[in-house]
Amino acid sequence: MSGNNPIDLKQDRRQWLQTSAAVLGAAVLPIPAAAADPQVTPTTPTPTPSAPEPKSPARFFTPTQHMLIEELSETIIPADSHSGGAKAAKVADFIEITIRETTDDAQKSLWREGLRLIDLMSKHYNGRSFVDATPEEKIAVLKILSDNEQMQDLTEVRFFKDLKDLTVRGYYTSKIGIHDELDYKGNRVLQEFVGCDDPTPSA
Amino acid sequence: MAEPEVDLSKKYDAVIIGSGAAGGMAAHVLTTRGLQVLMLEAGKKLNIEQELRSMEWPYDNPHRGALPPDSHSLNFNEYTIRRPPYGPGFEKSKHLKSYIGDSDYTKNIVVDERENPYTGTNYAWVRARCLGGKTNIWGRLALRLSDYDFKAKDRDGFGENWPISYSDIAPYYDKVDMYLGITGVKENLPYLPDSIFQRPTKLTCAEVTLKQGLQKMGRVLTQYRAGVTTDGLKHNKYRSRCYGRGACSRKGGCDIHAAFDSPTGLIYPAMDTGNLTLRTGATVREITVDPQTGKASGVHFTDSQTMKDYTVRGKVVIVAASTLESARLLLLSKSRQYPNGLANSSGHVGHNFCEHVMGPHVYGQAMDLVGKPSTLDDGRPGSFYIPRYRNLTEKHSKFIRGYGFEGGSGNQMFPANTSFPGFGASFKEEIRKNKGSYIGMGAFGEVLARYENYVDLDPFVKDKWGIPALRFHYKFGENEHRMAEDMKETAQEMFEASGFKILEVSDRVLTEGWSIHELGTARMGNDPKTSVLNQFEQSHDIKNLFVVDGSAFVNASCQNPTWTIMALCWRSCDYLADELGKGNL
Repeated sequence: MSGNNPIDLKQDRRQWLQTSAAVLGAAVLPIPAAAADPQVTPTTPTPTPSAPEPKSPARFFTPTQHMLIEELSETIIPADSHSGGAKAAKVADFIEITIRETTDDAQKSLWREGLRLIDLMSKHYNGRSFVDATPEEKIAVLKILSDNEQMQDLTEVRFFKDLKDLTVRGYYTSKIGIHDELDYKGNRVLQEFVGCDDPTPSA
Repeated sequence: MAEPEVDLSKKYDAVIIGSGAAGGMAAHVLTTRGLQVLMLEAGKKLNIEQELRSMEWPYDNPHRGALPPDSHSLNFNEYTIRRPPYGPGFEKSKHLKSYIGDSDYTKNIVVDERENPYTGTNYAWVRARCLGGKTNIWGRLALRLSDYDFKAKDRDGFGENWPISYSDIAPYYDKVDMYLGITGVKENLPYLPDSIFQRPTKLTCAEVTLKQGLQKMGRVLTQYRAGVTTDGLKHNKYRSRCYGRGACSRKGGCDIHAAFDSPTGLIYPAMDTGNLTLRTGATVREITVDPQTGKASGVHFTDSQTMKDYTVRGKVVIVAASTLESARLLLLSKSRQYPNGLANSSGHVGHNFCEHVMGPHVYGQAMDLVGKPSTLDDGRPGSFYIPRYRNLTEKHSKFIRGYGFEGGSGNQMFPANTSFPGFGASFKEEIRKNKGSYIGMGAFGEVLARYENYVDLDPFVKDKWGIPALRFHYKFGENEHRMAEDMKETAQEMFEASGFKILEVSDRVLTEGWSIHELGTARMGNDPKTSVLNQFEQSHDIKNLFVVDGSAFVNASCQNPTWTIMALCWRSCDYLADELGKGNL
């Protein structure tokens, strides 16, 4: 997965989609709209064949999906020595509200499908779900999508773009993003705007 | 919610239609002169501080300041690929708004597109039906025109001269400056006369660099001349001085009213005289005419909520509904006597429609600021302005008239650029380290006032109140497109001269209407055959009818129009009060 040895996403995805079909015992694509509705059927394949996990009806994403979004957003904007990352900034909560409330059904489907596909990718490349992967393994999966951002016909690539957009929006409108990360100094009462000294003589 | 009862039985000295910059100024001048004035506004009186919430942090807002998900605001792409009316195709959205209206802070200020349809050619028409109109969210750039504009025909032969000179309007610009407050720096430019400025704000470091780059080219960069009081106004208890809280551009409005808006700047003080009666929720359908005298007799309006009809009488009727709505109202006011609409014996109402062309811009970085600690760069009402430099002393070979640039720079609440490739630690660091180094500017150019650019009434489509919709026949022409190419080229050369790294430079023109500077649909002039109004914005046809908003402009110039609208209106209303006193109306 290094730059010297780029993976062929389109070639690979046949394999990981097939793997998932075998696991589920059914054809994966296309997903009928009704089956993709979380109110009807949970669409995220659970790692163990346990009972469907409990889910608050008010929330769009299941707790598992929420945890996955937390890990994805943190991989995009991680904590560093300067400030907290997307997880601390509760970006997943912002994404939950945004996707729950949108009237764009295509975006809702994109998120359900995207989360599922990313987890399949992680299982294929890392041998474990995205949440359980090491930081390096997480980066490796997202790098495949980031490196192939021109492949807009692929759901997971479009999903990555929307994931990145919403993560950026959520993070830089959060307390951590504005105050800790950017050290934004405005939005306060000022006696005088400091500005820059202008050495040029005025007209 | 019912509108407050007002006395509609008495005959007012003046009935003003509209409460924006023009209507507010007419109310101020006429009530000060002792006239009994009724102001009609189609929209509501909003709790504007509650709408604007200027200091709200994004994380304290349920949608981080964005428009709620049940609403949609039109974007450039939609304005381009669709044709008006813009309602169909957005059935999923409960509310459909113009491109302004894309935030939780402006959503109730602009109209719902579906209730207010228009037809014809593509146009991004931004309308604010509420007390104060668009002054609640205006960009605040407050510029004067000069004889380079008023007498532009003398310079290049195109169009018509204004029936006034700079010397006629200069004293009124002074009055507007003193009464409302304006910040800026004197530059002594004959083509952009100075105002009577209050305390200016400083430039940022990138802007100082750009100013020095421009000086080498003989061009000027000056502080944003904002219609904002930086020292306060002793005579106005409704407005505070500017406290540099910033985020002015984020929401447009100013909830402490340091930025001028019509309600606090003009209407509330006018009400304090005891001479102003305000009726909100009054959608005017028609200006009525006395068949005996042929003069305007008053106004017929519908309550915007209850749909009940009312009439009210006035000795004088003042139209200040905004350039396009005023033209629409004149065209709607047809009678046996005036079959082409009111004040329209010339056939020029709705024509000579002009504005500013926008879109070409440059965006780049002052590399010496990369990696520097944060500075407070947005605690001021505006950044910088570059006045026109084309067709002043030399004639450009490809186009006539000129354009100026508005720009901004520096740290802001949301990083100016997040479009870095990749993700992760390096992505985050790129955003952080570059955040304070950006600078950008976009041009505003004069769209020529041409007879063939016009609006009329759609024969079929009506608005929510059953009033015929406006139909657009309006396109940018050759001169505008050639000017746009030059905007791009000179923007690039100015950034290069300043040593900026250019990230983006474009001559893409935005949809007609984007500047929200529509003008000219009832132009002034000395000849009643080719103009609608005389130099006092008084109808040539009907002595007691005045049109005091941007529709009176003879050309658009390239300077933002609000200050000129108000200066002209003040002059016209002084004349109106004199003439009414003499019994001439």
